[in-house]
Amino acid sequence: MPLLEVANLRTTFRTEDGPVTAVNGLSFALQAGETLGIVGESGSGKSVTALSIMRLLARNATVTAAGVTFDGENLLQKSELEMRKIRGYKIAMIFQDPMTSLNPVLTIGEQIAEAVRLHLGASKREARDRALEMLRKVRVPAPEERLGDYPHQFSGGMRQRVMIAMALSCNPQLLIADEPTTALDVTIQAQVLELMNELQRETGAAIILITHDLGVVAEVCRNVLVMYGGNMVEYGTAEQIFGTPRMPYTQGLLASLPRLDEGEHRRLEPIQGQPPNLLRLPPGCAFAPRCAYRMPICDQPVPQYDFGEGHIARCYLYDERTRDQRPAAADNVPIVAANRL
Amino acid sequence: MSGALIEVKELFKYFPIYAGLTSRHVADVRAVDGVSFAIDQGETLGLVGESGSGKTTLGRLLLRLLPATRGEVIFEQQNVLTLKRRELRRLRSAMQIIFQDPFASLNPRMTVGEIIAEPLRIHGLANGKQVDARVRELLELVGLQPYHANRYPHEFSGGQRQRVGIARALAVNPRFVVCDEPVSALDVSIQAQVINLLEDLQAKFKLTYLFIAHDLSVVRHIARRVAVMYVGKIVELADRDALYRNPLHPYTQALLSAIPIPDPVLESRRKRIVLTGDIPSPVNPPSGCRFHTRCPVAFDRCSREEPPLKEYAPGHFAACHWVEEHQGHAPALT
Repeated sequence: MPLLEVANLRTTFRTEDGPVTAVNGLSFALQAGETLGIVGESGSGKSVTALSIMRLLARNATVTAAGVTFDGENLLQKSELEMRKIRGYKIAMIFQDPMTSLNPVLTIGEQIAEAVRLHLGASKREARDRALEMLRKVRVPAPEERLGDYPHQFSGGMRQRVMIAMALSCNPQLLIADEPTTALDVTIQAQVLELMNELQRETGAAIILITHDLGVVAEVCRNVLVMYGGNMVEYGTAEQIFGTPRMPYTQGLLASLPRLDEGEHRRLEPIQGQPPNLLRLPPGCAFAPRCAYRMPICDQPVPQYDFGEGHIARCYLYDERTRDQRPAAADNVPIVAANRL
Repeated sequence: MSGALIEVKELFKYFPIYAGLTSRHVADVRAVDGVSFAIDQGETLGLVGESGSGKTTLGRLLLRLLPATRGEVIFEQQNVLTLKRRELRRLRSAMQIIFQDPFASLNPRMTVGEIIAEPLRIHGLANGKQVDARVRELLELVGLQPYHANRYPHEFSGGQRQRVGIARALAVNPRFVVCDEPVSALDVSIQAQVINLLEDLQAKFKLTYLFIAHDLSVVRHIARRVAVMYVGKIVELADRDALYRNPLHPYTQALLSAIPIPDPVLESRRKRIVLTGDIPSPVNPPSGCRFHTRCPVAFDRCSREEPPLKEYAPGHFAACHWVEEHQGHAPALT
């Protein structure tokens, strides 16, 4: 049984301009101890997915799903009180900006201890010891002295370490990290990613890593879910996604990326056009308006195609029925056998 | 150096810090601390560094958007830093800047047409009907439509706004453009569009770029030569390929090894140099070599003596005692 199973998740926000569909029928599963990367550009729905699972959205949001099953229980049917017992205990979250997600008027030690006392029922003294142990684990220098420091006395990288210490203090089964290194410099990012990897090996927690940085995903994640326009467009192992991407959007993302290991100067191949307007998502493939291989059938809802070994993509190019409709531009996209799901 | 369009000599910028009731001058943020380099006509010099390295301040000093503490910036035989106001204004039409944040750098109360027309009017480059024609021409040049002139910035996406910023910079026919993190705020698929546009415009108008970025992959793509800054100083400067294939300075090595490559097979084979510690504050930079507090090969001389930027191979400069004592060889860190 997977640790987390999300089925047909749909999140809409009521706005003055009408309903905005941020997540549009997303389904995926996560095994215990797995690292899943969710990649996508701004507005693709990756952060809203995390917040929907954690039930942390504002009141103008409506979340529906066939189920958000965590450890055998449907999170959507939990009361707010029950959710509070899960958040920070069984599921912990790290946010992008470590400055705004720490309480500026509490010391670091108090903040880490708070979760430990609340969820594990530890005494003040035990909680302090645990906080110290966690700071040591995330390698904050001189942890005894820093327990009494306030967030503003820490650098960005150190704050993110404190966030990780706090998130892992109660041994969660799942850690959701939403762009945890985006605000950090690369040399600091390398430290934080190494730390997350190490702590995962040690604690066995599953991780959902939300990021727009394909390099970070390639470095850290076993499996990758690519989102576009509020839904999954491709899913597979990191090797499948980066080695044999099937969905034209994934292919386009990789082709548009300047790479550190680039040889001769080549012209980047950008994806034309702009990301979709979430007020008016097209009924079919959300990427179709920007896709070089667009076919008439793309205006209809796209099923998932299975390429074997868990590799799934949503794209009509691989449907047997479209073999003779493929546009000439798609000649360089190999025809691969895929089962419609 | 012949062929240099712009030459920077021993440039410093200290921001004073005042404290206490009497606003005593207690310390300085040494944002740019003695930097020299030149940019050739028509080339792109990439300037990379992490936050607080002084790269943005340096870009602004070149255009005199900020007054320098001391030093010289020679642009076409004139010292930019000592020009009179009127001369400076004339110079501004030759030197332009594109900013990082396309949301903060466009006036929300002006239409895109007004934003692009403003520099044309100020510099007297067009009047009357000519202005509209030139605005239309510039919009098309950067891949927008002429009817976009009547719209306001909020009606555009980030990538489109960045195109407006580029059109505004190009309106005055500059020869030199400082691109300050022009694609950092953009999504990957849009980033490539803007990079290609900048390359096309450079070829078309023989522009010279100073391209400031923290993303070393982007800089590798667009720059011919690259300078690496660390806490107010240039620690390495070389041709792109030399810098990426054979980085001399330990900081450059660590910086390059820290960048994840979007290829899991390659990633699993790569060895990473993970630096310990944080980037030091430019208020109280470490003595001697500023990198010595994090450097894996630092020895006693490094904390005592500041290493000069020396040429170890034609066009390949580095500021490192270790490299100097090992006849221009780079330390093996992985």
